[in-house]
Amino acid sequence: MEFNFNIDWIAAIPEIFIIVIINFFIVYAVIYSTSPNLGYPIIIRNVTWLGVQILVFALLLNLSNPMTGVIAFNNLLIFDNFSVLVKSVILISTIVTLILALDYSKYENLNCFEYVILMILAVTGMMLVVSSYDLIAMYLAIELQSFCMYIIASLKRESEFSTEAGLKYFILGAFSSGLLLFGCSLLYGFTGTTNYQQLFQIFSTIDKTVDIEVSNAIVLGVLFILIGMLFKLSAAPFHLWAPDVYEGAPTSITAFFAIVPKIAILSLVVRLFSYVFYGLLLPWQEVLILCSLLSMIIGTLGALWQKKIKRLLAYSGIGHIGYMLIGISSGSIEGIYATFFYVIIYIVMTIATFSILLSIRKQGNLSKLKYLNDLSGLFVSNPQLALAFSIVMFSMCGIPPLAGFFSKMFIFISAINMEMYFLAIIGVMTSVIASFYYIRIIKLMFFDSTTKINNLSPISKENSLFLSVCCLFLITFFVWPTPLALTLHNSIVYLCV
Amino acid sequence: MFDFILSWLILIPFIGILIILGIPKTQISAIKLCAFVTSLIAFVYSLFLFVLFDNSTSKFQFLEYLEWLPSLNLHLFIGVDGISVFFILLSTFLISVCILTSWNSVVKYEKEYYICFLSMGALLIFVFSVLDVLVFYIFFESILIPMFFVIGIWGSRTRKIKAAYQFFLYTLIGSVLMLLAIFLIYFEAGTTDFQLLLNVPFSEKKQIILWLAFFASFAVKVPMVPFHIWLPEAHVEAPTAGSVILAGILLKMGTYGLVRFSLCLFPDGSVYFTPLVYLMSIIAVVYTSITTLRQIDLKKIIAYSSVAHMGFVTIGIFSLNLQGIEGSILIMLSHGFVSSALFLCIGVLYDRHHTRMIKYYTGIAQVMPLYTLFFLFFSVANLGFPGMSSFSGEFLTLVGAFSSNTLVTFIACLGMILSAAYSLWLCNRILFGQLKIHYISNYIDMNKREVAVLFPLVICTLWMGIYPEIFLDVMHVSVSNILEII
Repeated sequence: MEFNFNIDWIAAIPEIFIIVIINFFIVYAVIYSTSPNLGYPIIIRNVTWLGVQILVFALLLNLSNPMTGVIAFNNLLIFDNFSVLVKSVILISTIVTLILALDYSKYENLNCFEYVILMILAVTGMMLVVSSYDLIAMYLAIELQSFCMYIIASLKRESEFSTEAGLKYFILGAFSSGLLLFGCSLLYGFTGTTNYQQLFQIFSTIDKTVDIEVSNAIVLGVLFILIGMLFKLSAAPFHLWAPDVYEGAPTSITAFFAIVPKIAILSLVVRLFSYVFYGLLLPWQEVLILCSLLSMIIGTLGALWQKKIKRLLAYSGIGHIGYMLIGISSGSIEGIYATFFYVIIYIVMTIATFSILLSIRKQGNLSKLKYLNDLSGLFVSNPQLALAFSIVMFSMCGIPPLAGFFSKMFIFISAINMEMYFLAIIGVMTSVIASFYYIRIIKLMFFDSTTKINNLSPISKENSLFLSVCCLFLITFFVWPTPLALTLHNSIVYLCV
Repeated sequence: MFDFILSWLILIPFIGILIILGIPKTQISAIKLCAFVTSLIAFVYSLFLFVLFDNSTSKFQFLEYLEWLPSLNLHLFIGVDGISVFFILLSTFLISVCILTSWNSVVKYEKEYYICFLSMGALLIFVFSVLDVLVFYIFFESILIPMFFVIGIWGSRTRKIKAAYQFFLYTLIGSVLMLLAIFLIYFEAGTTDFQLLLNVPFSEKKQIILWLAFFASFAVKVPMVPFHIWLPEAHVEAPTAGSVILAGILLKMGTYGLVRFSLCLFPDGSVYFTPLVYLMSIIAVVYTSITTLRQIDLKKIIAYSSVAHMGFVTIGIFSLNLQGIEGSILIMLSHGFVSSALFLCIGVLYDRHHTRMIKYYTGIAQVMPLYTLFFLFFSVANLGFPGMSSFSGEFLTLVGAFSSNTLVTFIACLGMILSAAYSLWLCNRILFGQLKIHYISNYIDMNKREVAVLFPLVICTLWMGIYPEIFLDVMHVSVSNILEII
């Protein structure tokens, strides 16, 4: 166990950079915003752009990291191609979320700059989650990101919904963290190690016939860890917090919850279950299959009856998690590949959705949209926006040739590859049912225009830029899908041994 | 100029779309002109496909290849044979007809309307020329998006939302089963390339499952009888041009799929399920023909008669002999002309009086002689009158079916009688008799543009009826090739 100062610090430089710079950043923001000489300025815009700058530098550092395949800090963290890819996606999506939220903060008078700092801290936590190579490091990193997220969920102090959301998120999140920690301690108690590599070696040679009690306890530990993860992913039946938190939190925070953390937790699930616990495939695979079935069904049926936009998006997110879990539960490298393909395209679609929701407002009093019905007649007041939104919705329900279809296609291919026909058939059926509520939104925007017209204001420049880039990606993806496929392939191949 | 003829055919509508996107919304005539010229260029260009086509070989011609997803062994492979070349011609032709016919009748969101139609044109050429099962699925399904908008936005009444939903969900449910089947094929064979799959023998049990899954998708699209509910709704609610595209080409995607994929890839499955298809087809022919008799909406009559004609087509395809399949392809083409023309005729009435109820129209022959001529001509063509395009197709189909199943042929012939009954009764009701002046008082006969739209269809119908050999020549070798595979 040697501690190579140079290599370890160079490998972890993006995280270290963020943590160091954020100290200065807090000092700057606090001094500046409480300065009586300047008249207590509102610095949310300034802080957001600075935060974006920090993340861009972190992204550059991350991309140009010379150290790949390094296990650093006493085997606590790993830096490989896979973690570089996932971290880049996390950083890019956070940058986008920050910029998208600008318009929202302006109109809602959400002037507390702290959420930017907390978001960046949460992102640091996620980056450490992705890099964790030890159960303790994993737990601490998860807690770092969760705590920041509990706080920003209740960002709107004076709103009952927001505080309720924060509290709900905190209680259930703490509960799931407890389960996670319990699982980790069980594993440590029966194996004597918390290191991934050593655990992997133990599990790949474990002989269940010899020592049934010990292996049962280990299985229990693994399942507790899995359930902790599923809580964070909001997979059914551990999904109950998601709709409330999505609805209660300010929309800019909801966007962050919907876009960013999923890929971090998923990459952890992949690293743990497709590598460390792969020797125990059978027990966790059953749980994952069950959860993905339930998520798809509950996500779809739950969304059918929703009247509020954000609750609908929460349920649709639960459904999408179900599809992602199919890929992981197939236990094959194609499955992991399909999952990450899915989650990246899901991120693009969610960014597009939120770039509309965060910026579109009613024409008169500039109040935000809450109900699905508020979208009716969007085609009349803003045809281009309606068209873009409908493309996103069609992509979400998986109509070819949009990108959403390809993500679902890879998932089903991986499921059929492992002969999980039942899962594939249920997946296909739920995706048909899900298309019903997606096209209901399209119907509202396009066909209801004659009965009731809501005048909706145009969206801001930044948001429309992201929206158009995302839509262009969704439409033209099928022309040349190879680059994304190859990038993913290259980084995932190294993951599994 | 003729090196990448198929790619250009696909690109031309997209170039047109780009140009239209650049034209401001207010310059409607420029948008219309651009859309029409684009579609016309595509049509003329596709004629070269027909001219340069070598009908002495059953191989796919004008092949083009693009490495698409090498990690999954999926590639874009396009080419045409003697069957698909007609459908490409039909698509380009009908797209220009549609654009010309909606010249004055579409009054809102013109830009989006023409973009929808041009994109449908490009996607249809993909559907009929692609030689990869998965990519075929992708484009087969993607037509849903523009068509959903066409029905929903430019449809005529409030019921259009229900119609758009039905159209979308029926087709989606059918085709996802096909998607699963395609994945099964992919794992069985390691590829979805159509030409390679021809050499992959599937076990009979697998073929039966795969055939059923494909059939679920195509049967909804054709539509066969229990799955036809969406069609009359969609037709009635769609604008005229939407109905033309729907009846003229979209239905043919189903039957084309049956010929191209079900027959060639799963010959054992096709033979196994022939009785089922026969049963569904004769029910379609007889039941929908009788249903047609009691409709009060002009468009619904043509919609149900489409279902009946598609019944003939499926009987022909599954007679599994040369005459039957060639006949059914002829019916598909002739139905593409005749039912489109009938929808156009109804569109002419609808544009003037904004109703499609038969009750309001009588004795039109006295005031709209030109219109009466066209309507009578196409009604007669629709019932399969000798010398018209339907006759040659239906005759060949019935000859083919006769050699494989006499009873089915007998019942299908009943359908011909019934089709004569409803067509002639329809003509009788709306063309002749006393004018109902208290409903509609001023009639205007067809104008130049409407005649220009319908006249090419008259020529095609007559040509195919009098000398169908020119069509049969081209498809002969390809159809024999399919039969050899079976």
